[in-house]
Amino acid sequence: MNPSKVMRIAGREFAATVLTKGFIIAALVMPVIIGAVMPLVVIMMEHAKPPADRGELAVIDKTGEVYPLVVDRLKPERIVEARQEQAKAITEYVKGMLPEQLKDKAGEQLDQLTSQQLDSVYEQFGVPQLRVIELPPDTDVEGEQAKLRAQIGQAAQTERGADRGLLAVAVVDANAVKPTGGDNYGSFDLYTVPKLDDRTIDEIRSAMRWSILERRYEASGLDRSRIDAMTNVAYRGTQEVTETGTRESSLELNMLLPGAFMILMLMGTMTGGQYLLTTTIEEKSSRVVELLLSAVSSVELMTGKIVGQMAVGLTLLLVYNAVGIIALFAFQRADLIAGSTIAWMLVLFALAYFMFASIMAAIGSAVNELREAQALMTPVMLFVMVPYFFFMPITRDPGSTLAVVTSFIPPISPFILMMRIASTTPPPLWQVLAGVAVNVVGVVVFVWLAAKVFRVGLLMFGKPPNLATLVKWVRMA
Amino acid sequence: MSNVRKTFGKKVAVEGIDLDIPMGSLVGFIGPNGAGKTTTIRMIMAILFPDSGELTVLGRKSAVESKDRIGYLPEERGVYKKMKVGAFLRHTGRLKGLPPRGLNDRISHWLKKVELPDVWSKKCEELSKGMQQKVQFISAVLHEPDLVILDEPFSGLDPVNMRLLRDLIDELHDNGTTVIFSTHVMSQAQQICDHIVMIHNGRKMLDDPLRDIRARSAPKAVWFEPLPDSFDPAVVEALAPIESVRFAEGHYEATLRGGVDPADVVGAVAAAAPMARVELHRPTLEDIFIDIVKGTGEAADEDLRAALRLGHAAINAEEVAR
Repeated sequence: MNPSKVMRIAGREFAATVLTKGFIIAALVMPVIIGAVMPLVVIMMEHAKPPADRGELAVIDKTGEVYPLVVDRLKPERIVEARQEQAKAITEYVKGMLPEQLKDKAGEQLDQLTSQQLDSVYEQFGVPQLRVIELPPDTDVEGEQAKLRAQIGQAAQTERGADRGLLAVAVVDANAVKPTGGDNYGSFDLYTVPKLDDRTIDEIRSAMRWSILERRYEASGLDRSRIDAMTNVAYRGTQEVTETGTRESSLELNMLLPGAFMILMLMGTMTGGQYLLTTTIEEKSSRVVELLLSAVSSVELMTGKIVGQMAVGLTLLLVYNAVGIIALFAFQRADLIAGSTIAWMLVLFALAYFMFASIMAAIGSAVNELREAQALMTPVMLFVMVPYFFFMPITRDPGSTLAVVTSFIPPISPFILMMRIASTTPPPLWQVLAGVAVNVVGVVVFVWLAAKVFRVGLLMFGKPPNLATLVKWVRMA
Repeated sequence: MSNVRKTFGKKVAVEGIDLDIPMGSLVGFIGPNGAGKTTTIRMIMAILFPDSGELTVLGRKSAVESKDRIGYLPEERGVYKKMKVGAFLRHTGRLKGLPPRGLNDRISHWLKKVELPDVWSKKCEELSKGMQQKVQFISAVLHEPDLVILDEPFSGLDPVNMRLLRDLIDELHDNGTTVIFSTHVMSQAQQICDHIVMIHNGRKMLDDPLRDIRARSAPKAVWFEPLPDSFDPAVVEALAPIESVRFAEGHYEATLRGGVDPADVVGAVAAAAPMARVELHRPTLEDIFIDIVKGTGEAADEDLRAALRLGHAAINAEEVAR
């Protein structure tokens, strides 16, 4: 094999892939755009919602006690109050889950964000303006349903924000406050016009629930504020005991990190592999391949292409890795990634990539167009899916028999090993080394088989081959 | 090449071919489509490998070792469509081992030579098919190879570009380059080559200098165009040395009986009626090919001629391999 020719093929492959608008947009600009656009989309979704509903809620209160509380609870100023309380509770909970180092700074930002969010909600959506009226307990519910039904189709004709008349009917069970026979508490039914804004429905439901609970506490002689206090157990992060003291453990990061590494590796592998498939098919269908074969051998051509696309995958991997590492530094959790983890990732990526890429090169050489490749791609995609299936069991228990066994089965083994290495309980070194050794053998076998298919496939035109034909080619070459 | 055999599955593409191509010769590989020419060439190029037999190229055991000294214009040829012409030729030139220094000048020189001086910065896909073919030809000869293999180089070219390419092939030959020129259009080989290798059904049928082939093939027909419109072919047919007369492609063709002196016949035909033209017709390569194949009892004359002209003589070997 002539290394300079291989590198020349690789160089062209890399340049022809990376220096295209398509790659720059898809691989590098797209994530940035998504990051920038997401908040915009959220804001736009808020804008797109219609203004707050204005209309009537009829309450059929069979207990005779709940209605006055509902009236009070659905006054616009009370709705705002309740929302603020709710947001505060959520913010406090989230703050509790933040790592210690971040609590002050991020907590402050979270408070600010929450109040901003609320302000924007009031500004855009406002607070539903509901007139609550009471109907006699013996009111015919079906008759009220008929009134709601009569509203169908009228919403479109009503001006935005105008009073739409009867919007909903709530029916409170007679035993909603005082139970019948033991603890058999009743509830309430809510009937609304079709497609009532979900936020209005939420407000009505929470007001109904709050009012019923309030009456139940009263009836049982309990103090609500005491119960709230009693049922609140503040979240405190778990402390990992380390050699020097304690450290807050971050279960989410511990689970996410192995997953992130695996997905990064898969992404790099898949991207490089996909491009390899496309360029091979292009070279074959444009008939430039025989011209190339007059200058290099088929093995040199395949190796050059694989190496070139590996550089493409690696570029992606490094770019995203750098972003991830910067993010971890920003959150002051850079300690979660050891330098050796990154080094292992590069080694395992190379192994996984070589196996995957040789299959892609073989498929690319065998077919005449991308459409024909789909049939042969299905089994390959299954391989790619396996690490996803194993993500949960392996991150939960990185030392399990499943984890150990799958660490030795190429071509999924590099992904499994990666998850285990990035986990909180990394595998013993001998397992990693043995796994790498098995994969090196795997790479040799995959490349050897692929080279055979590649050599025959490149010059075959006509009907697309099936798996049996590929096996025949391997024997033939 | 010594006793080379190549099969695709059950189909034998090349069977026991022995071939010795002297350095500096201009050899025509002829035979109908599917005869085994491209398979033979691909084996010479080490793109395919023989099942059995020996092969040396430019003194090496495999063309892999001497690829930089060979230029190849394949029948199935293409370009990187999105690549600019200059970059494409630089890429193929570098793959052929040319140093980067002076490469641009070399490419410009060749582009001017094939009358494409302004395409350097154009994308390959912007060129016409004929222009692309000239670019591909440059990539085959840019590195001044000792051996140039051209597989159907004229297909798809207009007469002007055909002439241009033919002159370039002659120039290569004059400079001492060995040229293998493969075609199913036998008249092209007849015009260009000094040595002919004829392949049919994977076997070599003929391997001789063109001069010798023609010398061996005595004329067997007289072509004539009579002056009066009311000419009666029976007058010529009645002549003793004439076996039959037929009218084809604007002239009469009188087939001679065996053992007659062609010179006598020309005189006799000219005397039979007033003639605008009388000439001895030397057999073409196509005639010779048909004679050889008929000798093997494989097919009828007209079937073979049709096959040669239409280029549908055989099934692609690779198709059969499936």
